[in-house]
Amino acid sequence: MNPTAMRFGLWVAFVPVLIAVIGLALQGLAMTDSALFFDWAFYLEVLVAGLLQGVLYSLVALGFVLIFKASGVFNFAQGSMVLFAALTMVGFIEMGLHWTLAFVVTAGVMVLVAIAVERVVLRPLVNQPHIILFMATIGIFYFLDGFGQMLWGSDVKMLEIGIPKQGLTILTDVFEYGIRINAFDLVAALVGAALVAVLAVFFQYTRVGRALRAVADDHQAALSVGIPLKTIWAIVWSVAGIVALVAGIMWGSKAGVQFSLALIALKALPVLILGGFTSIPGAIVGGLIIGAGEQVAEVFLGPLVGGAIQEWFAYMLALAFLLVRPQGLFGERIIERI
Amino acid sequence: MTYGEKHIGGTLLKVDNITLAFGGVKALTDISFEIREHEILAIIGPNGAGKTSMLNVINGFYHPQQGRIEFRGVERKAMRPHLAAKQGIARTFQNVALFKGMSTLDNIMTGRILKMKSNIFQQAIYWGANQREEIAHREVVEKIIDFLEIEAIRKTPVGRLPYGLQKRVELARALAMEPDLLLLDEPMAGMNVEEKEDMCRFVLDVNDEFGTTIALIEHDMGVVMDISDRVVVLDYGRKLADGPPAEVRANKDVIDAYLGVSH
Repeated sequence: MNPTAMRFGLWVAFVPVLIAVIGLALQGLAMTDSALFFDWAFYLEVLVAGLLQGVLYSLVALGFVLIFKASGVFNFAQGSMVLFAALTMVGFIEMGLHWTLAFVVTAGVMVLVAIAVERVVLRPLVNQPHIILFMATIGIFYFLDGFGQMLWGSDVKMLEIGIPKQGLTILTDVFEYGIRINAFDLVAALVGAALVAVLAVFFQYTRVGRALRAVADDHQAALSVGIPLKTIWAIVWSVAGIVALVAGIMWGSKAGVQFSLALIALKALPVLILGGFTSIPGAIVGGLIIGAGEQVAEVFLGPLVGGAIQEWFAYMLALAFLLVRPQGLFGERIIERI
Repeated sequence: MTYGEKHIGGTLLKVDNITLAFGGVKALTDISFEIREHEILAIIGPNGAGKTSMLNVINGFYHPQQGRIEFRGVERKAMRPHLAAKQGIARTFQNVALFKGMSTLDNIMTGRILKMKSNIFQQAIYWGANQREEIAHREVVEKIIDFLEIEAIRKTPVGRLPYGLQKRVELARALAMEPDLLLLDEPMAGMNVEEKEDMCRFVLDVNDEFGTTIALIEHDMGVVMDISDRVVVLDYGRKLADGPPAEVRANKDVIDAYLGVSH
């Protein structure tokens, strides 16, 4: 069993304990301060809603992790790839395609975008420092952002692919009123889980993982042992593009397809800092922690400071994490020889 | 020569009238020489003579404006580095280019990538075959690790290793490719005497046991004269001399280039 899987297992065992401890702490706080209240069923409901919301953050963060693993570069354009993919998908649906067909065609478009990015932007920049590649991704961000809206217009659009949205009530025999969850969030969670499973098999447990890390570390050396840099880049950007498409569909059906989709990338940042920039499981766990953490904090601690905790909670958590564990929960250890 | 029974064969790689310029600066002018099978060829010259540029041309990193390169008697077209690797040319770098976050073992395993048969999609699906292949390659890598006496650092991230050992890991990675032609760019730079002796021994052993052809760049003249079969001298991008060590050492142009000459 590899060490990442072991750490992962430990965390899973640790989670119920952590949830109980936080619950007890909140209950204690509620007893001392009359502005707060606490109820276990409500706590679990908020927690579950937060976790499911977190899966959506993870979907965005995944795209970042993929490209970071393969080039050591934070891909600023990931957010606009999400927007571009969602816009394109809606565009094709509006042209009359069934959504499954539109999905396939859009996935094809994202692969083309990946190949174009590799040819036009990355290829001339082989062997350049990471900061140069990062600047290039900022360029890609603005290009895709503008290009997408030029092609498909800048109106807010609805993306409707028939995901159920009604509320469900579960655990009615444990709690008096049960726990309500949203069916849409549940579907999003399943999609996220499936995507992660596929990616994990593809990247963690094959030697592609090794080639990716090699490419990220040193282009020249990777070339000299015969790793075809261009193919690797095109593959990774394609996969990141398809992940962006899935994230775009989920976010788009939830909140509508509009420019602000490109900005959810900002929410992915704290997720990455928590989970580690190089870890696929890390992106998931980070997303769950951020999602659940900000919901719980908002609802149960919000009254203390007059609310609006949700806006900054994720960033504060990330900041605290940077002080304690800068490589994130599952990131590769940082090695520096002086 | 220590290894008397060595048979130096025919031409493995031939460079012919190579000229390489960066803008107005000529890095290499009209260079021709050949590398013969199973030999150790040293490329020497003062700083900035074009030695590393020459290796980069052979390896496909640079594309010369003029000239031809023949490998195994076949003229090479414009070459990309990973294609050169595919043809059996491995190299190390002047300023160690290892994958710093990865362990020694993983670094050397990357050298096996071209030898692995299954493609990435098969790797994702066929667990059994994939694992067997991994184990077979691991065996080869373990042999190389024994050969270069780096067993103790197998699991250490290479970023933590001292410079001398990093150079050795880089050599190991190149050997894992089982190359026909091994290019070493200053394999002994920055080493102490003991480390240099070890490295010399490894270079000679590789050449002797695997019959690998080696072209190396080195500044330490003692080392060059001891281990090489032939020496090519470059200066300001031109070839000054080409021949056995003793002959080159006596060459007047070479002495002038190294010691300076009053005009």
